[in-house]
Amino acid sequence: MIAFNLIPYAVAAWIFLCGLYGIITSKHLVHTVISLAIMQTSTYILLLAIGYRWNAVAPVFADISPGAVTVDPVVQALMLTDVVVEATVVALLLAMVVKVHEKAGTLSPDDLKVMRG
Amino acid sequence: MSAKCRLIVFCLSAIPFAIVYLAAAKNLPPWGHYRGPYGDVISSLSVYERHTTDVVNAIDYDYRGFDTLGEEYILFASVLGVMLLLRDPNPKSGTADEGQGLSKTVKFGSAACFGLLLIFGFYICTHGQLTPGGGFQGGVIIATAFMLIYIAENLKSFKAITSHPLMEALEALGAGLYAVTGVSALLVGAPFLTNWLPLGTAGDVFSSGTIAVISASVGLEVAAGFILLSYTYLEDIISGGGKVS
Amino acid sequence: MAPSPALPIAAPLLCAAVLAALRKWLPRRAIDLLAILTALLNLVACAWLLRSSWRHSIVYWFGNWFPRGHMALGIGFLVDPAGAMLATLAAFLTLLALTYSWGRSDSGQNLFQPLMLVFLSAMSGFCMTADLFNLFVFFELMSTAAFALCGLKTQEPAPLQGSFNFAITNTVGAFFTLTGIAFLYGATGALNMAQIGLLLGSRHDSLVVVAALFIFSGFLIKAAIVPFHFWLPDAHSVAPTPVCVLFSGIMVELGLFAVVRVGTAIFGSTFAGLPDPMRLGFLVLGGLTAIWGGVMSFAEHHLKRVLAFSTISHSGMMLFAIGIGSPIAIAGWLIYVCAHSMIKSGLFFTAGILLHRLRTMSEPLLFAQGKELRFTAALWFLGGCGLAGLPPFASAVAEHMISHAGSGRFLAAATVLFLISGALTGGAVLRVFMRVFCGWGDKGPGDRASQIDELPEENEETQVIPVHFFAPAALCLAVGIALSFLPLLADLSLSASSRFLSQGGFIDAIYARTQSPGASPVLPGTGIGSMIGHGLAAIGLALILAVWAVFHRRLPRKMRWPSHLEGSMRWARQIQSGQPADYVVWTMAGVAVLGSFFLVLR
Repeated sequence: MIAFNLIPYAVAAWIFLCGLYGIITSKHLVHTVISLAIMQTSTYILLLAIGYRWNAVAPVFADISPGAVTVDPVVQALMLTDVVVEATVVALLLAMVVKVHEKAGTLSPDDLKVMRG
Repeated sequence: MSAKCRLIVFCLSAIPFAIVYLAAAKNLPPWGHYRGPYGDVISSLSVYERHTTDVVNAIDYDYRGFDTLGEEYILFASVLGVMLLLRDPNPKSGTADEGQGLSKTVKFGSAACFGLLLIFGFYICTHGQLTPGGGFQGGVIIATAFMLIYIAENLKSFKAITSHPLMEALEALGAGLYAVTGVSALLVGAPFLTNWLPLGTAGDVFSSGTIAVISASVGLEVAAGFILLSYTYLEDIISGGGKVS
Repeated sequence: MAPSPALPIAAPLLCAAVLAALRKWLPRRAIDLLAILTALLNLVACAWLLRSSWRHSIVYWFGNWFPRGHMALGIGFLVDPAGAMLATLAAFLTLLALTYSWGRSDSGQNLFQPLMLVFLSAMSGFCMTADLFNLFVFFELMSTAAFALCGLKTQEPAPLQGSFNFAITNTVGAFFTLTGIAFLYGATGALNMAQIGLLLGSRHDSLVVVAALFIFSGFLIKAAIVPFHFWLPDAHSVAPTPVCVLFSGIMVELGLFAVVRVGTAIFGSTFAGLPDPMRLGFLVLGGLTAIWGGVMSFAEHHLKRVLAFSTISHSGMMLFAIGIGSPIAIAGWLIYVCAHSMIKSGLFFTAGILLHRLRTMSEPLLFAQGKELRFTAALWFLGGCGLAGLPPFASAVAEHMISHAGSGRFLAAATVLFLISGALTGGAVLRVFMRVFCGWGDKGPGDRASQIDELPEENEETQVIPVHFFAPAALCLAVGIALSFLPLLADLSLSASSRFLSQGGFIDAIYARTQSPGASPVLPGTGIGSMIGHGLAAIGLALILAVWAVFHRRLPRKMRWPSHLEGSMRWARQIQSGQPADYVVWTMAGVAVLGSFFLVLR
């Protein structure tokens, strides 16, 4: 029973670690950025799992009467905020990647030695 | 650090991380039995207090509208940032690609879809307070409609339609309108971002007061913002950059 | 009659939108002027809020959503003296940074000013919010503006890589924080800090401790504590000078502010009186950061990286003060934040003057180039003294307060750490002073990193350094000194810190119960003598280190530093590898280490 309740959280933790693994073993800057986006997905799953209710409906009362049992709308609103934040951060990062490619000619992190101490 | 060293440290930290994560999750309420009062209170109140049937939208633009203001400005800052990073001090002209050789069917289909997507985007934007949707979702759909022009035609046609300074002005207008709506509440004597417009009837398009106005301004900003983003990327990759200095 | 707390947030955002819309049509001077006026408006509003919140914290509910019973429906702001003070500091530094960039040749096609205003707004909101998710949103807004501003100089490859490393590390930190916030939401069903604090009570299980771990980790990444610090030198070596000022002067400190804010408002009863394992964790990490930052500061040869590592070192000492955790320690922390911010900003502005006049930031290349720049030399020297903690800089007052906090249990450790940190960071700055402005000794070793940022920030080289370059630098250092002469400084900071640390006061204010004034702890004796003594010891040690480094080659073989020290310095510099993957691995290791301290609580 405990294991069943942990399924979505285990999935969230797994995806978080997959994203981290991707960043750490990345050989291409675009791969790093996409791994970052994957990590963000884990927070969505965590949020939505926290707000879920079995046998409940979506929190939209256009066709049902108010007072019906719904899932938590707050986490959905939080998640919408996060999606926008993720999209914008990825856009900014990809712009940096494009420019790095333009200036340095390579996208492999190992070949980018300018910042080395 | 060598790649192998990184991997070892990662594995050594990943296992405790997973254990700690799950140990914490064990103490959460059981999956599917959301307890917390916040969501339920808002679900039960928002139809009556704000005459809106889409509770998530009400949270986004009213109850927690201040968060959404911040989020909209994150998008705004990010678009400015991309324009900043990909700016070209010596703009060139005339190296745009001349058509992509797609068939007439694709071009015709895309033109038809453009109108459809645009209408759909406006529909989603303006009906956010009734059904799932709202400014962000609708804005992205509108922006995608404009992308179709680039895919079907070429960069020149895309540029002709999304004339650059106007897009920027529209994007800033959308962002500024949200802040202005908030300030307008101050001018009526209520705290920032209070919903002070007439609330209408739940289920009507013109309902929920400032929620509809904010939704529209967000839609404008998101649409213009994503169009600007695509334009800036395409301009840099195709006409300007792509070279190694 | 206080201004609306929404004003410091809304005004810069509105102005940023206007400037972004009209950036191609308004003349450059008009855009600069509008930005400066908005920052000035913010400064006045935040200072006024500081004054008004002195007796009772100001609570503001956005959207007119007042709490119903214990349920906070909307987002609330709680303006207390500590938060208002940091917001004022942010506005002041942004004003100076915008003044410095007046007429700057490369303003990113006028995108720089709107981004700076968005940055300012985010920082102000971050200081004043009482809602956990709102804190996260402002954290992200601050970060996004920072990533964009850091990569402003796109003509070289280095700024983009530095900005990329900055973005990846901080975004990973943001994910940790968000995970912690989600856990807290799941545990309590609330997002308002006071409500969460109330609902958690003294709940102590793994959920709460892990949530605290994740939330703190994200903020400690922003605060550049070892081993989360790797992004900071990269970002500082490539960002334009006014942006560096904001990073070192206020953004890093806000990470620590958030640790204290969340730690007291939410976890105040959970970790009643900072349990020993957690305290130990903060003290150890803080001390480690102070030492590592100092050592690396001395090992670097790029002026901005020297200053960046000294920020890391001082940030470590700030975490040490937070680890001590008593009201006197936090009062000292507040003064330390202001003092360090002013001194560091002064130094960065001075470095910017050097970059403008001498066209490089590399110490070997700058050797003896600064001999005619008398005023700049004086500013740089004063900055070095300030970093070392010499009275009359306010940093001396702060260090004294922090060392004597916690009923003197940490006196020995704090004194030693402040001495090491001050001597190393001050010594590095003084070593640069001797090489660049006095031309003593020899050029000194260079390294690859010192070659970064060869492009100066102005296109024309002028003999006369414009006044809007000098004024911010001189003003910052002057404020750094004047602060210690502020009447009743210690009492004012103590009353601010008692309010800052009181969870009961926070909850009472949010739920509009009467706020009891709370007992003010008694300050220990002023001990000016010991303060001067410590300051002189630090500056003395710094001068010795600087002279030793500068005249190294001319010393007899026995007095030189051991040969393997040079090798280990090189190894230490190589840890700062410039690879985001390395930085993220270090972050994970750091979370594991911090976690081991926290989970001993279980």
